[in-house]
Amino acid sequence: MTIVVILKQVPDTEAVVRPDPSRPQGILTEDVKFILNPYDEFAVEEALSIAESTGGEVVGICIGPAEAESAVLTALAMGVDRAMMITDPGAVETDIVTKGRILAEAIKPLNPSLVLCGREWIDTQEDALAAVIAEYLDLPHVGNVGKLSVESSKLTAVREMDGGSLEIESTLPAIVSCSKDLNEPRYPTLIKIKRAKTKEIKSVTLSDLNLAFEPPRSRVKILSSPPARQAGRVVKGEPDATARDAVAWLSDEAKII
Amino acid sequence: MTGILVIAETRNGTIHKTTREAAGAAMELSRRRSVPAAALLLTETQLAGELGALGFSTVYTVEGERYGKYNSESYTAAAAHAARQCSANIILMGATGMGRDLTARLAARLNGALASDVIRIHYDSDPVSVVRPVYSGKLLAEVELPGSPRIISLRPNVFEPASPSGQQAQVVRLDPDTASIRAQVKQAIQAAQGVLDVTEADIIVSGGRGVGGPEGFGVIRDLAQVLNAAVGASRAAVDSDWIPYKHQVGQTGKVVSPVLYIACGISGAIQHFAGMGSSRFIIAVNKDPDAPIMNKADFAIVGDLFKVVPVLKEELIKILN
Ligand SMILES: Cc1cc2nc3c(=O)[nH]c(=O)nc-3n(C[C@H](O)[C@H](O)[C@H](O)COP(=O)(O)OP(=O)(O)OC[C@H]3O[C@@H](n4cnc5c(N)ncnc54)[C@H](O)[C@@H]3O)c2cc1C
Ligand SMILES: Nc1ncnc2c1ncn2[C@@H]1O[C@H](COP(=O)(O)O)[C@@H](O)[C@H]1O
Repeated sequence: MTIVVILKQVPDTEAVVRPDPSRPQGILTEDVKFILNPYDEFAVEEALSIAESTGGEVVGICIGPAEAESAVLTALAMGVDRAMMITDPGAVETDIVTKGRILAEAIKPLNPSLVLCGREWIDTQEDALAAVIAEYLDLPHVGNVGKLSVESSKLTAVREMDGGSLEIESTLPAIVSCSKDLNEPRYPTLIKIKRAKTKEIKSVTLSDLNLAFEPPRSRVKILSSPPARQAGRVVKGEPDATARDAVAWLSDEAKII
Repeated sequence: MTGILVIAETRNGTIHKTTREAAGAAMELSRRRSVPAAALLLTETQLAGELGALGFSTVYTVEGERYGKYNSESYTAAAAHAARQCSANIILMGATGMGRDLTARLAARLNGALASDVIRIHYDSDPVSVVRPVYSGKLLAEVELPGSPRIISLRPNVFEPASPSGQQAQVVRLDPDTASIRAQVKQAIQAAQGVLDVTEADIIVSGGRGVGGPEGFGVIRDLAQVLNAAVGASRAAVDSDWIPYKHQVGQTGKVVSPVLYIACGISGAIQHFAGMGSSRFIIAVNKDPDAPIMNKADFAIVGDLFKVVPVLKEELIKILN
């Protein structure tokens, strides 16, 4: 079976991100290290292990600027067979619903049995992708999956919800977004990192997909820093005294109890 | 397209608090724009009257087994149907697990604009614009929504809930056409009785590497129980297999905004702070006065958590009884 994995490049989780004064929708990128979205690694791992047991090809698709190639290379080094990159500004600088629509068009000709993506993009903090792609492809989706088993024509997935989980059975093809409980992503070996550079990364444009430019449905107007948290009271000493201070603070100042 | 639609969520016979919060935002929009607000109730339709009394002019209901448990396909079809009924231009829902999933699929179905986990609405801007955290809360994005309709999920615990009015809503039963359902719920697995999820709780007590092992979470759970709080954890504790991943708070765990977050034996790494930095109040218990969490907490206790947390629990029992 063919499995598609959606890839995104994001700033490293350690990164201190600051708005770019000359481009208030964007961030300063000089000192920022970029990585493959951590949840996408679970998607890649899952795709690879399914392909290893059922046979078949794993194709990565990434919307991102040319620099995002390094994230694609990470996925190729983990074992993804080949990749496609969509670098049109009309795709890179648009909203998640439009991106999902573009990805759906890119996925269609591959006719995959399964499309996997990460549970969430950690940069924009959005987790809509699986549902959006599924809707545009008129396929079922299961989001936030922590356990997955795939057979030839159906899948069983455990979807994590607030306060519990749902066991869901779906026909294939389907779209699944992957959470951390799913697996332990493999580290690419040096040889595989070298070999990744010889794998195909095909550039795909919006016009290749017969898509015209669409204005974004949502648009960041300005990024700003949230108000910094101020240091509060610091108490030390005997546990009895500090605990009593804390309780007094909770009732008199925070007014929580 | 002019109306406002709130998609309601219920839990065990009650209207979920995020629905009351979405209703609060809807009433504010409705008042300022002089447009009516409707609500859609997909399960537990006996709550239609109570829901309507939050200020809605209409409550849409649907009936049938396919709405018994959350299902993205049947719920999307019903929500799209209701949106068309009231010509919804703005659709609001709580950013719960269900809310985030449903709003995503609905946004694509209606070819609209999506804004998830919103913490502020600029009620008077036209078209409506919103604020949402990005880069794990390290920045805030003000987002314009030129697309239509606008589908917005609201972060729990942020918006003022609507209070019941004397008003009575018209209840309209819809019969949406749900063609095929391909992803079926086989089983709903509830968390153990009395175990609150971190995304649902007003108070969270969290433990990190400082609790030292799985048994160390005992004192954390004891305190959580007294406060009717959920138990959270840092990734260090989760990666050591002391507690399951669903408790992890942070950039690659859950993002939470409780009223009170009590961090015990957690240093406050940037990735952890990303998940809980927007809590209304933070208490930290840490033996290292220089741990990063200590100058971000509203109340920082320097001390051994195994000594402090049990006393804190006892003191709270005294005052709460
Ligand atoms: C890609 C990526 C994603 C990540 N995502 C997350 C995430 O989602 N959530 C998350 O939490 N982390 C995340 N991290 C990890 C993060 O960087 C930190 O490593 C982690 O948060 C540290 O956990 P901690 O504070 O429990 O441990 P530590 O940093 O080791 O801190 C333990 C603290 O406990 C104190 N202590 C020890 N014993 C006691 C005692 N008896 N009494 C009181 N205090 C005591 C110590 O003084 C110390 O401050 C991520 C990292 C990466 C690279
Ligand atoms: N790996 C990278 N190296 C440098 N710049 C990058 C990288 N990835 C993305 N960018 C830039 O970051 C910006 C995208 O950020 P944003 O507009 O905030 O989504 C664009 O200007 C990109 O060119």
